[in-house]
Amino acid sequence: MNQITPPAALPQPAVEAANRVRLGRRGFLSTALAAGGGLALGVSVVPSSRALAAGTPAGTVNTWIVINTDNSISMIVPGAEMGQGIISGLPQILSEELPLDWTKLSTTSAPFGAAYSGPFGQVTGGSFTVRLWFQPMLMAGATVRTLLLQAAATQWGLGSAAGLVAQPNNTVLNPATGLSLTYAALAATAAAIPLPLATAPTLLSAGKPYKNIGARVKRPDLPSKVNGTAIFGIDVRVPGMVFAAVKNATVFGATVATVPAAPAGTLAVVNLGDAVAVVATDTGTAMKAAKSLAVTWTVPAGATAISSSAATSAATKLMAATTGVPVAETLGNLTTSMASATKTLTLSYATPYLAHAAMEVVSCTASVTPTSCEIWAATQAPDWVAGTAAAILGLPTSAIKVNVTLSGGGFGRKIEQDYIAHAVKTAKAMGKPVKVTWSREEDFGHDRYRPMAQSKIVAGINANGDIMGWNNRVVTASVSDAHWPGSVANNLDISALDGALGSSGLVYAMAARKVDYQMLRAGIPVGWWRSVGHSYNCFAVESAIDELALAAGKDPLAYRRQLLAGQPRHLAVLNAAAALAGYSTTPPAGTAYGMALSDGFGSIVALVLQVTQITTTTSTTNATTGVVTTTTKVTPKVLNVWAAIDCGLAVNPDSVEAQVQGGVVMGLSSAMWGNMTFSGGSAGSKNFDTYKLARMRDMPVVTTTIINSGAAIGGVGETMVPPMAPALANAFAKLTGTRKRSLPLYSGG
Amino acid sequence: MTTLNVNGVSYTVNVPGTTPLLWVLRDIIGLTGTKYGCGIEECSACTVMKDGSPEKSCVLTVADASGSKIVTIEGLSPTGTHIVQRAWIAAQVPQCGYCQSGMILKAVQLLKGNPNPTDAQIDAAMSNICACGTYQRVRAAIHLAASGAV
Repeated sequence: MNQITPPAALPQPAVEAANRVRLGRRGFLSTALAAGGGLALGVSVVPSSRALAAGTPAGTVNTWIVINTDNSISMIVPGAEMGQGIISGLPQILSEELPLDWTKLSTTSAPFGAAYSGPFGQVTGGSFTVRLWFQPMLMAGATVRTLLLQAAATQWGLGSAAGLVAQPNNTVLNPATGLSLTYAALAATAAAIPLPLATAPTLLSAGKPYKNIGARVKRPDLPSKVNGTAIFGIDVRVPGMVFAAVKNATVFGATVATVPAAPAGTLAVVNLGDAVAVVATDTGTAMKAAKSLAVTWTVPAGATAISSSAATSAATKLMAATTGVPVAETLGNLTTSMASATKTLTLSYATPYLAHAAMEVVSCTASVTPTSCEIWAATQAPDWVAGTAAAILGLPTSAIKVNVTLSGGGFGRKIEQDYIAHAVKTAKAMGKPVKVTWSREEDFGHDRYRPMAQSKIVAGINANGDIMGWNNRVVTASVSDAHWPGSVANNLDISALDGALGSSGLVYAMAARKVDYQMLRAGIPVGWWRSVGHSYNCFAVESAIDELALAAGKDPLAYRRQLLAGQPRHLAVLNAAAALAGYSTTPPAGTAYGMALSDGFGSIVALVLQVTQITTTTSTTNATTGVVTTTTKVTPKVLNVWAAIDCGLAVNPDSVEAQVQGGVVMGLSSAMWGNMTFSGGSAGSKNFDTYKLARMRDMPVVTTTIINSGAAIGGVGETMVPPMAPALANAFAKLTGTRKRSLPLYSGG
Repeated sequence: MTTLNVNGVSYTVNVPGTTPLLWVLRDIIGLTGTKYGCGIEECSACTVMKDGSPEKSCVLTVADASGSKIVTIEGLSPTGTHIVQRAWIAAQVPQCGYCQSGMILKAVQLLKGNPNPTDAQIDAAMSNICACGTYQRVRAAIHLAASGAV
């Protein structure tokens, strides 16, 4: 790991090759003198074999750690901060090897630039950032520390840096003399040391327990988030800017036919092709004018027939197909094995379209000149942003600067490019910087929705409950195909089956299995939504397992243990959640337990929840007749969630717990109420009054246990969303005897 | 011309009196700590204090705000160290942070009227939407601030 050898087989860029050093098998480093005299250090991961095949050059500089002249440290983090804490997690890993003063650390997300690109470009998603950058961060820290120690030895005229100590107050100490020098005082000397180093930097943490990794570090971004100074995409201010709102097409796919004159009180209207921007001197005025703007649209044939009910009909037809269905996975001989089943269940599950509903609507600021463009946005994909602007403006991406702000939630929505294109086009038309902000109604009405899905599972068990056969057909849209039509070979999108395949997290023992897939094309725009395929596949699989347990006459926990006998890591997670819950086959009166397991993003999670029902009676008096009407409503309430997660190693347990709590809430909201419907080619819910999210009163008490199993480090951000819906359905079935196979579980408040 | 008193500073703005205060704060005055979330008084991200009481600035007009003392998150404490803000850091409440200005101002108001609220009282008072799901920590932070031990 810490053996430093020059790069050999991997392709190297010509630029900066001289001061680059290969780090084991994973990374490269380079140093340069930063503007202002600090020491800048870049880290790069070697592209994966996939990226190499695509021709991505290795060894570009990804992450810069700059030691400033005031002895503070600035770090450019190769990932977007959307609430998941990456802006804290990566510096924490670095600090394991480079002792640093946490109060003198500033972090920002990397702008667009090949230099900051990893194996997956610059996309932040897939709960991947810590997984990708863990080792490179350690290496970067070790290398900067080594450079600083060598610089100190040079400045003190010592023959060797042996015995010198880098300290967490940003100084290097010579214990023999008691003298110390600040990192800033050493930066220039350190930056002049040629790389590769004569001797490899050693890892302080090698063979020892981590000191900083695993600590409950306080996130450095939080002070700005409690005093109003944090800058999200929607908060960007640029001198001379104006403010715009948009009116998107009233029907999906429609284009602008005619645009009226700019309404009184506004500066301009701009035809964006798929939308119209209204520009004003404040966003509120622009939004109000956009809402009532009389645009006429060219509506494509059939577009008004787009609806969620039509999508359901199409999915049902695809589900019934008998030929031409691409098979994703087979195990054993399904027909033979099923013949030995004593009970066969046919279980059909359905999940609806969902909106991302991040609290920050999409917003982008752009400034365009004939030869350049600068963009400020909350984005999960700054390299895509550059490509979007370059294509619109006919400029090379090298002429596009993309500044990545904090995101007020992303959940996958801020990978998309629609709002970016709007800002670039509007700024070009206006000839001055423009911030485009979508109203909440536009944000809901023109999302890229989590696709609806149907799953039909035919499962056979023997007298012991062992699964003899499992035949699952999943019908859902392909997010990949929706973004890159024709890109999915054989119409088989494996990613749509995340969690439904043995290769993507389905670990229960089965004698035989077949999983196939039908791609749904319903004209409704779809996108990546936190936990993606796992979000609906986990609901079907974990609901079905509970139904099989019932059919086998076994307790759901005992039954899962039986099916996980060969999966010690999964079993340990399940047992940890059950132990945390104090799980009992006889729950407290009026309540029921439900559970679910999920394996995705490199981590394993399980949760047990406890649900009850609350009856509320409301009386309303008719103002005219005086007649009092009493309505009784029975609403479910999740009282407790006990969650266990094995993410290999938790860098910051407090952050992991925060993500568990957040995943629980997002899973709860979507399972209970989440349902975006469509009719006439447009979305049915346009704001939080009709698209309900959990609030404080809905919040269960979440208790988390983290298992540091020592397995390869896993992702966290998306992992706890999938198991909430099936656990809730399973608990509800226990409580009421009614099995809900369709989400959301409840409608209305 | 409308005159506004925001965080103790007087501003004269040239906008129609019906303009929501939210956008005047954000786009004209430049105080972006107050957030837009829904525009229909559902989410409370835009909460400000008007003469000491929380108001949703997405519908509060500048005409109605004029003559009152408006306090935004930026003005809650000159150093950002109001006890509720300190409690928020201690409990590591924010994730994305977007809704937190409104959450904090609502919590300040709650504690002013009820120095030691129960969970049920917190649930009833705090109707703000947080899509990240920070509710459990909001609850903890309010109790922490109430205890004074922060």
